[in-house]
Amino acid sequence: MDRLNHAPYRAMLRSINKPARYLGGELNAIDKSPEFFELDRKDRVHFGLCFPDLYEIGMSNLAIQVLYSILNRDERVFCERFFAPDLDMRQIMIEEGLPLLSLESGTPLSDFDLVGFSLHYELSYTAILEMLERGGVPIRSEDRGEDDPIVIAGGPIACNLEPVAPFLDAIFLGDSEEALEEITGVYRRIRSQGGGREDMLLGLSAIEGIYIPSFYQAAYLPDGRFEKILPLRPGIPARIKKRLIRDLNLAPMPNQPVVPNIEVVHDRMVMEVLRGCARGCRFCQAGFTYRPLRERTAKTLTGAARELIANTGYEEMGLLSLTTGDHSELEDLVRALLPMTEPRHINLSLPSLRLDSFDPDLAREIAQTRRAGLTFAPEAGTQRLRDVINKNITEEDMLGAAESAFKNGWDRLKLYFMLGLPTETEEDLAGIVLLVKNLLNLWESLPREERSRRINITVSTSFFIPKPFTPFQWAPQVSFLEMRQKQQYLAAALKDRRVSFQWHDFESSVIEAVLSRGDRRLAPVIEEAWRQGAYLDAWHEHFQHPVWFSALENIGTDLYTRERDLDEAFPWDHLDLGVTRRFLAKEWLESKAGRTTPSCYDGCSACGSQRYRTGVCPGGYMA
Amino acid sequence: MNTKDEQRVIRLYYERTGPLAWIAHLDMMRLFERALARAAWPVSWTEEAFNPRPQLVFALPVGVGIETRMDPVDIILEDPDKEFQVEDGLLRLRAALPAGVRIRAFEETDPRAKSLMARVTGASYRIEAPGILEAYEKTFRGGPVEVSRIRKKKKSTVDLTPRIFKAEGEGEDILVVTGGAGSQDHLRTDLLLEALVSYGGLAEDAAQGARIVRLSVFLDAKPAGEGIIVEMADA
Repeated sequence: MDRLNHAPYRAMLRSINKPARYLGGELNAIDKSPEFFELDRKDRVHFGLCFPDLYEIGMSNLAIQVLYSILNRDERVFCERFFAPDLDMRQIMIEEGLPLLSLESGTPLSDFDLVGFSLHYELSYTAILEMLERGGVPIRSEDRGEDDPIVIAGGPIACNLEPVAPFLDAIFLGDSEEALEEITGVYRRIRSQGGGREDMLLGLSAIEGIYIPSFYQAAYLPDGRFEKILPLRPGIPARIKKRLIRDLNLAPMPNQPVVPNIEVVHDRMVMEVLRGCARGCRFCQAGFTYRPLRERTAKTLTGAARELIANTGYEEMGLLSLTTGDHSELEDLVRALLPMTEPRHINLSLPSLRLDSFDPDLAREIAQTRRAGLTFAPEAGTQRLRDVINKNITEEDMLGAAESAFKNGWDRLKLYFMLGLPTETEEDLAGIVLLVKNLLNLWESLPREERSRRINITVSTSFFIPKPFTPFQWAPQVSFLEMRQKQQYLAAALKDRRVSFQWHDFESSVIEAVLSRGDRRLAPVIEEAWRQGAYLDAWHEHFQHPVWFSALENIGTDLYTRERDLDEAFPWDHLDLGVTRRFLAKEWLESKAGRTTPSCYDGCSACGSQRYRTGVCPGGYMA
Repeated sequence: MNTKDEQRVIRLYYERTGPLAWIAHLDMMRLFERALARAAWPVSWTEEAFNPRPQLVFALPVGVGIETRMDPVDIILEDPDKEFQVEDGLLRLRAALPAGVRIRAFEETDPRAKSLMARVTGASYRIEAPGILEAYEKTFRGGPVEVSRIRKKKKSTVDLTPRIFKAEGEGEDILVVTGGAGSQDHLRTDLLLEALVSYGGLAEDAAQGARIVRLSVFLDAKPAGEGIIVEMADA
């Protein structure tokens, strides 16, 4: 780290918050310089892995660790990390003309061959532009030349990146583990053949899962609605298929992850226990786009845990997935992990436990190691609305699970709800209040010696945001006024010293909704908002709604937040994520009728993913 | 459990350089805790029910942007049968630490001895900044050198003169200074640099960009680790 020998650089570090964010040097970080740079240019690929948010967020993300470890396994590839600079650092970079540098070798982003963004939420879009600009890469694909990197993006929101399509050279759909080597391989092959940028994009477009947005053109109806998107040249697929890892046990796990030197948001080792979800909650994008559900076996996971513990020294282990409680071997897994974690004082944390899969015996075992809060996500306050969203949990389930939790010593309960769901009325809000009261009454009714001493219930609410590739992709988002009314109603009704009520910004919920179901016409809006100062928008304290609403003035928000016609074209219709539009439409009508759909465990509903014949699907390895 | 009879205390002397000099004290503690876990040291844990912690005692917290050379840290082990082999443990620990933190020496100390932190009396620093010697000589001419500091939201002034025990130059741009540390007469290098800017004409840039190395921590008025230094061979 030669920079540290320069007084002006040290002075700069002393003037900013958490300088270690920008310095690298963590355990398990991989720096292949200088040897890598001695390889022939034709034989090597320098990959800039970007996360468009702060270091503490990006380093908490499992995808970054997965990509980093797989890419760096290949000796011809050197993958380095980039994170978005915080406001203080960004200001200095602008004033001093300092470029965005990689954490490992301190190389500017513009010097890389491939630049890959891992995208997880729409409010990070402005940070893509900021990182490109600070890194010396032209922000628009069309302005990049032969010496500029190829910019590729993937991640859970890749199923509709149309609003940022003009900033990206390529988009990757689905599971990336097996495709990374193909991508870097195509890059090397075309480079060694002396091919240029255009050849590179053509070569990449032949890889399954890769979508080159500049090879397609979107058209709009006179009334402003989206009409269609078509390939601009022959030989380009009209529909782009996602990639899928058939057996998750064969997908490599990052068992030697980079361990940050400073505290990050999720400061722990993480294992992805399963991918996808069998449940089909109608608001949940990942629940549909990651189908079919595929598990890693307890054996695979136990082996990985042993390595993770030895390689990190972390004091917490997270079992991550959309639905960890559904894992068919969860009890076996926890019983195998506890003898490794307990003697080492490692907390086992199980996020996203579903109530109906919560086992009292297991609760007792976990409670022995950890007395933290318990989190439930009923999402809606009444059974009627839970049926509409296909969250198949009854109040009875919840009270039963809460009782065993209270008896096992839990004293903090967090409940997640979504406000503004399709068909929601005041009765559904009253249902939230009633559920909380019933939980408090339950706690009070238990004998003192059988329950925790205190009780605290956090009611955390967010506003429903309709997402592509869900049955609610046709649904409207409620108006500003309604959002405020709902928030005020609950704030008044939940006044109890044992209850904390949290809610989300109205404004950022609207912007997120616009971007989620947006099209390419939003690219200039995003660029304008960014030029006016929008940056790190997912941070409540940084989100500048006037800038966004002024950038949206001409096009308006209604075009994007309104209910869509059943036969209306979507900007993402050309992408094949497994689930079919026909299935989603049927689900949308079922939801309006208040009818539920069984989970994949209870029978196949033919969502479209059954054609992969893997995981939980008929003919799959878990069936 | 955890009685003094069953405990052993291994005092490590560590150097931190490069990016690792830019993390805060809490991060440094966490870094050691995790490295010791990776290296499978039988570290003793505090017995608080809700937030048990591994028992590590750092002699003196070190600020962000300051390198160290011989900073002591005590690792309290729970090892009733004296099974832990320190030399083997050190080899594992050295492999488990990120580049930039290096164990330079060690000794086993008496668990009943006075706490490491309570024995700290001073620390010496090597501060490199253009023109620092001249600025020092201009600033400290015998009279009081007062700088203001904010503590618990109250502003007060402190005189740095009694906090400096010894200072000398190594050429014009390097100052080696020994001052008080710990509970009494603690000398903060940022306040010293501030005084050199205010009274000695040290350039603001030079002060901000100074390279600061803590050479040693003084225990009972003697540099810690002096005499026991075993410069460990690289593994």
